[in-house]
Amino acid sequence: MHDRDAILGELRATMLELFELEPARVTLDARLYDDLEIDSIDAIDLMDRLRRQTGRKIASERFRSVRTVSDLVEAIYQLVNET
Amino acid sequence: MAHPDRTAARPFRDLYYVRLVTTGLCFALFGVGGALLGIVVVPILLAVPGNRAARRRRIRRMIRLAFRFFVGFMNQTGGISYSFAGAERLGRPGQLIVANHPSLIDVVLLIAFTPDAGCVVKRAAWRNPAMVIAVSAAGYVPNGPTDLMIERATALLSAGECLIMFPEGTRTVPDHTVHFHRGAASVALRAARVVTPVFIRVEPPSLGKTMRWYQLPNPRAHFALRVGSDIDPVAFRNGPAPIASRALNEHLVALSAAEAAGN
Repeated sequence: MHDRDAILGELRATMLELFELEPARVTLDARLYDDLEIDSIDAIDLMDRLRRQTGRKIASERFRSVRTVSDLVEAIYQLVNET
Repeated sequence: MAHPDRTAARPFRDLYYVRLVTTGLCFALFGVGGALLGIVVVPILLAVPGNRAARRRRIRRMIRLAFRFFVGFMNQTGGISYSFAGAERLGRPGQLIVANHPSLIDVVLLIAFTPDAGCVVKRAAWRNPAMVIAVSAAGYVPNGPTDLMIERATALLSAGECLIMFPEGTRTVPDHTVHFHRGAASVALRAARVVTPVFIRVEPPSLGKTMRWYQLPNPRAHFALRVGSDIDPVAFRNGPAPIASRALNEHLVALSAAEAAGN
């Protein structure tokens, strides 16, 4: 998962599996809470899945300011491209 | 000649004012007593040597005994009556106790009868000078931020302690359907060895969310607590976590609704 398109693709697959969300709904400007109904518990479960997928320890604070899918893609991008 | 209506009316009125005073006394006892315990007694108990686990057990025991005394006081002064069926099944290692939340004293009743329990409590308690030392030493879990709550509650259960949670997060608004936040279900799936529901009913309704403290029911309110059958979380631990936690949460809500309807 090294470019943003790949990350978005992976994210769509993950959200389909975890939340039964159709990929078409997972657009870059979709808001996690308001549009996709992903609440705080869901966000934690999503982060657990991302930790397993990336093999990285992710601090919760990194995702506190995430509001949209685009924010999330960006946060993941930063994460996997850190040395 | 005596006027029957006037003589009959008087005892009831006196009774209300007497109950008003004793109810006020109960609130005062809880407030002042609680502050004294939290500010004076807890620090003294913490000064006694022992590791953190020993201190935690000591403070939890103090809270339980204080709450048990308070429940007895409310009962003896005629403020409330109560029944607690199945309380002996509470307090097991890794047990998550989930209860509905109709009144102000639900947490007092549960803690009074559950040995060595942790509890998820409103964050504001850590900003309250009368409570902060006690809730910290007792190893209680603040109800937010969500990720830390999940982490701490999970750690507590994994360590073999018992935890009390109110999935509604706040008192039920009368005539509104019960709404359980999924935090308890999520914690249950992560770390509980057993999930035990406790059903609380208050007849007639008292100390509820929209009620004033002086709206005293006559006769006194009866708090009926019933410990429900154990739920094995393993049965729900399949599939992705968001789906599993919704399934468990819906099951808990259904049990609560069935209990309310069945009586």
